[in-house]
Amino acid sequence: MARYLANRVFTLFLTVFIAATLIWIIPRLSPVNPVDAMLGRMASGGGTIENSGALLDQLTERFGFNDPLIVQYWLYIKNTLTFDFGLSTASFPTPVAQMIATALPWTLGLMLLALILTFIIGNLLGALMVWEHTPRPWKVVIPAAMVFTSMPPILSGLLLMYVFSSTLGWFPLTGAYGIRVEPGWSLDFIGSVAHHGILPAMSIVLVTFGFWALGMRGLMITVQGEDYTVLAKAKGLRKRYILYKYMIRNAILPQITAFALKIGMLVAGQVLVERIFAYPGMGKLLYDAILTQDYPVIQGVSFVIILMTALAVFFVDLLYPLIDPRIRLGA
Amino acid sequence: MKKTTQMLLGTVAMTLALTGGAFAQDVARENTVIFDLDRTIPDPENFNWMTDGTGIRRMHGAHQAMWEPLFILNYNTGEMDPWLATEAASDDDGDVWTISLREGVTWSDGEAFDADDVVFTVNMALENEELTAREVATLRGQVASVEALDSHTVQFTLNNPNPRFAVENFGVRIFGSFLIMPEHVWSAADDPATFTFFPPIGTGPYVYASSANNRAIWDRAETWWGAETGFMEMPEPERVIFLESGGEESRAQLMIAGELDAAQNLSVGTFEAIQAQNPDAIAWYDSYPFAVADPCARQMEINTTVAPWDNANMRRAVSMIIDRTQIVNIAAEGATTASSTMFAQFGSMSPFIDAVVEAGYGLPATADVEGAQALLEGEGWVREGDYYMKDGETLSVEIHVNSASTEYTRTIDMVVEQLQRAGVDARSVPVENGVFWGEVLPFGAFTMSYSWLSCGSVNEPWASMGRYTVADVVPVGERSPGFNNTPRWDTEAAVAYSAIVDEMETMALGDPAIPGMVAEAYQHLDAEMPFIPLVQAFKLMPFSTTYWEGWPTANNYYNHPFFHWNSGHQIIHNLTRAE
Amino acid sequence: MADQTNAAAPETAAPDMAGLTKRQLKRMKRFDNPWNNPKLIWGITLLMGIIALGIFGRIFWDTDLVFTGAVMPSQAPPGFENLRGQAGLASSPLGTDVAGRDLLALLIVGAPNSLYVGMLASLIGMSLGIFLGFTAGYTGGRIDDVIRVGSDVMITIPPLLILVVVQASFGDITLTMMAILIAAFVWQSPTRLIRAQVLSMRESGYVQMARLSGASNRHIMFREMLPNLVPYLFGSFIANVTTSIVTAVGLEVLGLGPQRVPTLGRVIYDAIDSAALTRDMWWWWGFPTVLLMVMFIGLLLINLGLDEVSNPRLRRL
Repeated sequence: MARYLANRVFTLFLTVFIAATLIWIIPRLSPVNPVDAMLGRMASGGGTIENSGALLDQLTERFGFNDPLIVQYWLYIKNTLTFDFGLSTASFPTPVAQMIATALPWTLGLMLLALILTFIIGNLLGALMVWEHTPRPWKVVIPAAMVFTSMPPILSGLLLMYVFSSTLGWFPLTGAYGIRVEPGWSLDFIGSVAHHGILPAMSIVLVTFGFWALGMRGLMITVQGEDYTVLAKAKGLRKRYILYKYMIRNAILPQITAFALKIGMLVAGQVLVERIFAYPGMGKLLYDAILTQDYPVIQGVSFVIILMTALAVFFVDLLYPLIDPRIRLGA
Repeated sequence: MKKTTQMLLGTVAMTLALTGGAFAQDVARENTVIFDLDRTIPDPENFNWMTDGTGIRRMHGAHQAMWEPLFILNYNTGEMDPWLATEAASDDDGDVWTISLREGVTWSDGEAFDADDVVFTVNMALENEELTAREVATLRGQVASVEALDSHTVQFTLNNPNPRFAVENFGVRIFGSFLIMPEHVWSAADDPATFTFFPPIGTGPYVYASSANNRAIWDRAETWWGAETGFMEMPEPERVIFLESGGEESRAQLMIAGELDAAQNLSVGTFEAIQAQNPDAIAWYDSYPFAVADPCARQMEINTTVAPWDNANMRRAVSMIIDRTQIVNIAAEGATTASSTMFAQFGSMSPFIDAVVEAGYGLPATADVEGAQALLEGEGWVREGDYYMKDGETLSVEIHVNSASTEYTRTIDMVVEQLQRAGVDARSVPVENGVFWGEVLPFGAFTMSYSWLSCGSVNEPWASMGRYTVADVVPVGERSPGFNNTPRWDTEAAVAYSAIVDEMETMALGDPAIPGMVAEAYQHLDAEMPFIPLVQAFKLMPFSTTYWEGWPTANNYYNHPFFHWNSGHQIIHNLTRAE
Repeated sequence: MADQTNAAAPETAAPDMAGLTKRQLKRMKRFDNPWNNPKLIWGITLLMGIIALGIFGRIFWDTDLVFTGAVMPSQAPPGFENLRGQAGLASSPLGTDVAGRDLLALLIVGAPNSLYVGMLASLIGMSLGIFLGFTAGYTGGRIDDVIRVGSDVMITIPPLLILVVVQASFGDITLTMMAILIAAFVWQSPTRLIRAQVLSMRESGYVQMARLSGASNRHIMFREMLPNLVPYLFGSFIANVTTSIVTAVGLEVLGLGPQRVPTLGRVIYDAIDSAALTRDMWWWWGFPTVLLMVMFIGLLLINLGLDEVSNPRLRRL
């Protein structure tokens, strides 16, 4: 057990280190450097840029690009490991940590909720597709409902917006909370956040539950044929008891791993939904940063994603032997 | 690792707790005006506009409601409407400028606004290279020194004569102006480059109420210097909100629902759909083209160092093949007009445009394919099958286009089709926004490209024409200074052109000789076509009269409708409650 | 309730032909040939339909109409009107978009393109995932560690970041290149999940038995273990095809896809970007969405059908 743990902790650190290095290297492979990109953005806003040579030197200095690459890398690793992501270059001199701190709660709140909902709904429906006691109508409705999976999330979001906000007026069109409430721990604010979060969350659930259902269905088929399920039936245990305790409990294991893996995508994956609902989450922060070559923000957001995913995977690896005793440790 | 998670969660909770608590007073919807914001506010509690390259720390209401400019350029008359200043005058050489400030202006905390604030802010800009906003860099390049002659008169000594000094720096010519900051607040800052100026104050009739990533709220102050001195009445809206909308579809839905009073650029079809469901929606014109022109007319730059397009006749042929009317109808859905010259077609520019057209250098709105083919054949190209050939090579061209907007890609798709039909194997090369502006354009890594690099002139011709002089020519692979002369046009005609344009540079605005000189210089542009003007830039910015009236339109032309500019003050002051 | 007893019948009871109707008996017979499965056939038919649209469409319809300005813009299909009250033209049976492109032509070219990208990306991703997952799970040790760290690292890197850089470096990319890029982001999950399954199966009775009887590693991996995972793998494959198509849409939205090649995603994105919903141009986003759904249903039916073929207990009377 100790060796297993040591191995996992070591690979956790290794993963984070390699990934952190990659996210430092990758943006620098782009042919455009952030200084040119910034001047370009200025130029696209209107006429000539006077004094552009001096401006160029100044920005290069400010972004720290005059140092040799190895020094830049060393500083980056040193600072990142202490959660100091530096200052944003596109919105200088705002600390990246502060930008992440504002965006993260929204992402965690909305996206985690959506992910958990879609996980539960998807797996349950997937299991019901296989269970022999599922009422017939359900067996038709579930696969039919899964066609939403084939829709791009941006379209499902807009359709929901069109139906529930514009036509029915049940939910607000954009934002994370109303323009008349101020953020704070008040009932008004929490109510407003919930009200604004429903549509974005729904649009994510609608297009993703099918993936879980499909995976779960496949796993359930395998489990259905296992000896223990057959034995449980032979023993005459209650149907629902068999479904939950024997079938789902065993089939769900790989899905839990998949859940851990999805945590990273949860932060970066729903950029477009965040965009159409003007939702101030991490996805949009990262997207804007990539488009503006804002290295520190790219690195900061990516590092948070890396850390979250790596930790989630780490814990799943640790828990796995506990929930699935069939796995031998230290092998 | 557990500790880091705790730390992260702690920060999150802290941020929420810190921003919470303060409840803004509720203002009824009919007393609120809501403007559209087309991007996220990345740092809502930083109001240091001087270090911001994109203008997002101003365009969320700060420079439309709180910080006032010295002058506002009127696009209709070409005059500068005085605001915080009353007059700007230069000596005969144009290198010493005196600006008179208005009496009785106060900051919202009661301190007087005077020449010391101006001198302080300008000196801050001159002394701190780290302040990199465009307006700051421009001013730093032009001004040698500044001094207060008395409490309401400031004198600038320039490095070079510049008849456009006031309008370029203080007149809201395009988007912003050099904004004056309160000395009594900023002098306490250790480092102007890292100072966040939070909470901000200004001289305007609105004060900061709150801000977040997707909105900024401004409330009307109890008193305002303008109302007290009789400069202007207090504006009617009690609250001004800038609200982020997410893309065209969301924006349209907000407009229909009456949750936006003014929206950013939309396409014609979308605007018509909005009007069908919300009859209160209006645009600049009541019918086609609906949209207003912005100062950056669209054009195609041609790299004059790349064969066969280094030949002026080849470039002229391309220009003749292009059917501008078709671009207007298809790519812009009828929302714009064909360009006849390189200039934006504002009332203030008409003397110069007229001079060029009268001299016979105006561009036609339709194509002359036969004329173009004659030019090509004259250069030795022979049409074989679909395309022209010469020495076994097909006449082909790649046109780089920014993929960020369908306006750009559609326009170039249209141009490509026209060239293809005329026998040129054209292909569009869509490029990501950052690459396009950061790599393709400045380094000359293109043969042809779609852009608006002659942008600049609004009330005089030099700002645009001065961008194509031979002084700014650099080899391909080096940065064009200030994105000027990216075609790298340096022929003899270009030298002749530059001589005339350089002479114009220091001539006083309104000098009667200028239109004639514009026409004289333009003959070289017309003969060599280093770039091909296409159509006017079009912005369809819909307004809603459900709650507010008095929006700028072609019939009520007190100024252009760009409410995200520093001139937004005028719009807010003109609004009256709809009955 | 009758359904439920029927459904349970094949497992619980010995064949009791007396209780079955004629129709059920007829269906029973069909099981003689498991491949003669209606779901499978329907699924294949739908996918072939998409491919046929691409092939026959090119013969019977002018695909040059996908270019900007080829036809009258913003026209509804015949029998409908657009917002300006213009009646649709028979020359554009599925309507046109605002840039004057014919929707039928766009679908003829775009639908097979989308299917191609989705299938190729998923195929590459899944193959890689199966290979690495089995190798890691079965061999264990150093190889396992390397594969695990490699896939974990690749899961954490935001795809957008890599795609922007690739596009910036290479300019316009081809469909195949896009598929490969997408594949680079779909192999990690299968790798991880298959590895976990293999770890758990390795200890199961039949694998132990095979090992004792001296079967080779390869035999155990691919003959004993893989078949058990097929339903799951195929489910993932279908899910990945759809994910890849949807991811491709996302890339195109960000200007990172092939720009001149129409795909369904591109058409939908153009529609959204021009506010087709608000403009009531339902044909513009509706038809491509229907085609995406057809593809998905086709793949889903094939999935269900194949499961019934390989797993008789799922068959229904």
